[in-house]
Amino acid sequence: MNHNALGNVFILAAVAAAAGGAVPGLASGLMRRDAGLKWVRRAVWAFFLAMLGANLTMVSALVTHDFSVKYVAQVGSRATPLLYTVVSLWSALEGSILFWGLILGTYVLGFLLAHRHEHQRYLALALAVMLAVGAFFAFLIAGPANPFGEVSPVPLDGPGPNPLLQNHVLMVIHPPMLYLGYVGMTVPFGLTVAALLRGELGHAWMAPLRRWTLIPWAFLTVGIVLGAWWAYAVLGWGGYWAWDPVENASFLPWLTATAFLHSILVMERKKLLTLWTVVLGLSSFVLTLLGTFMTRSGVFNSVHSFTQSEIGPAFLVFLGVVLVLSVALVATRGHLLLREPGAFRSAASREVAILANNLVFTAITFVVLVGTTWPLVAEGMFGKRVSVGEPYFNKMFVPGAAAVLFLMGVGPVLPWGRGERGMMLRQLLLPLAGAVVALVGCLAAGLGGGWALTTFALAGFTTVVTLRELLLPARVRMEEKQEGLITAVFQSAARARRRFGGYVVHLAVILVAVAVAASRQYVAHTTATLKEGESMQVGRYTLTYRGMQSGKEPHREFVAARVEVSGESDLVLPRMNYYERSNDPIQTPAVLSRPHEDLYVSLMAYSKEGGTASFNTWVFPLVGWIWWSLPLLLLGTAVAAWPERRRVPSVAQVPSSAGQGAT
Amino acid sequence: MSYGEPDYEQATAGIRTPSPVARWTATALALGVCAGLLFILGKGFGRNPHEVPFALVGKPAPTFTLRRLDTGAPFSFEQMRGRPAVINFWASWCGPCKAEHPVLHWAAQRFGTRVQFVGVVFEDSENNAKAFLRDHGIPFPQLVDPESRTAVSYGVAGVPETYFIDAAGNIHGKHVGPLTQEAFITEVKAILGEGGP
Amino acid sequence: MTATALGLTLALVSGDYAPTQAGSAPLSPELEARVQRVGKELRCAVCQGVAITDSPASMARAQLDMVRQLVREGKSDEEIRAYFVARYDEWVLLDPKTEGTSGLVWFLPVAVAALGALGGAWYVRQNRAGKVAAPAAVPPASPPAGGDAFLDAIRSELDR
Repeated sequence: MNHNALGNVFILAAVAAAAGGAVPGLASGLMRRDAGLKWVRRAVWAFFLAMLGANLTMVSALVTHDFSVKYVAQVGSRATPLLYTVVSLWSALEGSILFWGLILGTYVLGFLLAHRHEHQRYLALALAVMLAVGAFFAFLIAGPANPFGEVSPVPLDGPGPNPLLQNHVLMVIHPPMLYLGYVGMTVPFGLTVAALLRGELGHAWMAPLRRWTLIPWAFLTVGIVLGAWWAYAVLGWGGYWAWDPVENASFLPWLTATAFLHSILVMERKKLLTLWTVVLGLSSFVLTLLGTFMTRSGVFNSVHSFTQSEIGPAFLVFLGVVLVLSVALVATRGHLLLREPGAFRSAASREVAILANNLVFTAITFVVLVGTTWPLVAEGMFGKRVSVGEPYFNKMFVPGAAAVLFLMGVGPVLPWGRGERGMMLRQLLLPLAGAVVALVGCLAAGLGGGWALTTFALAGFTTVVTLRELLLPARVRMEEKQEGLITAVFQSAARARRRFGGYVVHLAVILVAVAVAASRQYVAHTTATLKEGESMQVGRYTLTYRGMQSGKEPHREFVAARVEVSGESDLVLPRMNYYERSNDPIQTPAVLSRPHEDLYVSLMAYSKEGGTASFNTWVFPLVGWIWWSLPLLLLGTAVAAWPERRRVPSVAQVPSSAGQGAT
Repeated sequence: MSYGEPDYEQATAGIRTPSPVARWTATALALGVCAGLLFILGKGFGRNPHEVPFALVGKPAPTFTLRRLDTGAPFSFEQMRGRPAVINFWASWCGPCKAEHPVLHWAAQRFGTRVQFVGVVFEDSENNAKAFLRDHGIPFPQLVDPESRTAVSYGVAGVPETYFIDAAGNIHGKHVGPLTQEAFITEVKAILGEGGP
Repeated sequence: MTATALGLTLALVSGDYAPTQAGSAPLSPELEARVQRVGKELRCAVCQGVAITDSPASMARAQLDMVRQLVREGKSDEEIRAYFVARYDEWVLLDPKTEGTSGLVWFLPVAVAALGALGGAWYVRQNRAGKVAAPAAVPPASPPAGGDAFLDAIRSELDR
């Protein structure tokens, strides 16, 4: 069988499996019967296998250069290296949706396997909702975004994937990370919809809900940070985040998911904010759909967007259906979740701090949403073409980010419930000292800039709080159990993994905040046009232009400027890459990365006749820590998300009592 | 709803939940916001996000004095005063410019006596521009625009773009992208102030 | 790398690609800082929502050269913005105006944040302790284990 037919068979099988699982699952779940689960299980396996088959078929078509397949004819080329050929599976629109389907299938199967022995009724409902989403994506692949169409006559070669994709290895990892983050939000969506459908959100649901949000959240975080790193390393404009619609599209669900991961703490411990948490869970999923729409509909103007396509209208309809169903669910079932037994006992409490955190995150979400869609709104409502760019977002975002940093410090100091005033004030002394030390240190070093100094002072405050929260439990153990420091840290971390992991993530976030503030505020920037042998100054570096060189790689040609950096033995080589498919050269900067600062040299222009080259150069203090924070961030997330075996029996007990409570 | 606590029903018995009126008001509000968002997104279809607005329509055309690519002699905007003018911004590296070149040839032959045609080279090396004209013919004066200052003063947003200026020196409009004969005739009639060709 | 190889590539490259050109010479440091600051707020005409200081496109360079020219002529920031708005409309401003309909993009999020804060306060008030006749089982104050209330709080968190 050829690739076209085989691919289409797999896709149709995926549509059938997803729909065939969603309908009986929803029906039996709503009737509170267990009969449907059997079907749902089979459908999940079938959906996964069909998606796997379809993706393997496409990879096989790509690798064997079967240009009779529409997608291969679009993105394949015999000249492309094997790695990029495989990667081009997700380099263009249709392939990315196909890959999306595989990820969704894997998530749903993973969820089924992880929870196959637990709470069967809600499992059927939740899986059915996820399969319903899967049915939509399978339909997209089968219809409007079908990559398996037949091309005739069969071309001898293709144009190869988007040159930007081939420019850097980060582009190989960044998109799948983002997809894993986007698609993963389907799982908490399934869980929250199931909770609303059943009108209950018992304790047994919360551990899976939290964990299955944490996983896509982590992928989304990695995807966003790697995307920033990629933009920095490849695009040559000396930035890592431009508030481009597609960047914003990935940031929006990240914001609501972050808020969700905090509000769920209040829900679990204090039996408050239940409906709010559910709404955040729904919003995260809706925003991933909105983000996908932004990237793939051709409606938004972006560096990263795919070309105009036919899936836009289908996506908009799906987005509308999900939105309306979500609102309808909250309207008809939401009040059931408002009967919470919890209560606020003091305004100066952890739960109020987390509520404030949620409000700030929601406000930031709204800023990003309004700013991103405003050009559409202004055109649609006032007939006016306007732009909303980086200056707007920076002005609106920075105060919100400072508030988040502040709450990250104050929240952990405040106890759950109600605390004793004197104790809380005493606990604030040491962190305040941290803030003062940071501020005085910066001022003594002659640093200025209002927001940067605010950030550093807040970072000092929050770092002290976070380290204390990380280490105090260890100290307690050292005193009471006579353990050594290392053992005590490990033991205390293992005994409260979520707490420990969460604070480790906080440390990584503080690191990012400081790196962003420093690299923005204290950047040195110089542009110059040099003749061979001439020098320019940027920061404390002297750069001397030593002529051009050029070369040819399999998929591109390049010219590079040879630049000598004071105090460095090796030349740096900022280059311009020329791809067959692109009219404009793509600059690749040369970056000398150090722990305390990066030297960033971009080749803007060169003239063969005049023998000159123009450079755009920057020195960014601390900028690398934005991406070097990733290991810390991943460590924290892994600690927090690691399944706790000891807890399994106690979790498994709850559904029976929950069932009794409901009947 | 259950938190798995035995006294749950009792504990929550006295809790007030929002009244139906409040619930449905909130729902209507949420639906309104959703409908608004969907409407705006839906209206976005068919919109070309790459289109750049042009605000100089009806305004006096910016003046310039530029050097001719062939002779090096100066050519100023004043030389065109009193006649309708067509200014074409182009570059040798731009594919659509190659495609529209025959249309410009045809137009210059047909309207050259009544309309002043001028070409402005955009972001190109002089050698490349000259080579392009050697290969494709030079139907009218071509000017060199250092640092593209004239292009920016005309609000150029890419090449090719063709500006139509009436006899009074006001910009009647611009054509973005490669010209066709039909598009050219429609625009040029307007600056000639006539109904027939 | 030899000069002939360079010449070959440049010849290959010069045909189909826009030749890059050097920007005009930078002004004195304080004027150049103004050029960069104003340029950061102006949108490149051929790019995807990127500022003219940030784009490698030749159009962006040309626009930035124009900003430099206007600064050299002694124009104020407001006059420079007006120059570009006269050509490309408000679309060219990456920092939207604060008056007129564009003011909404600044006002709406602030208004929603304020409403959210009110809503949050209302929610806390609604759910104060004692909202139900028989209060939900409140965990008894943890027994004084060590005498330091803060350490006790941490201990109780670890036991969860």
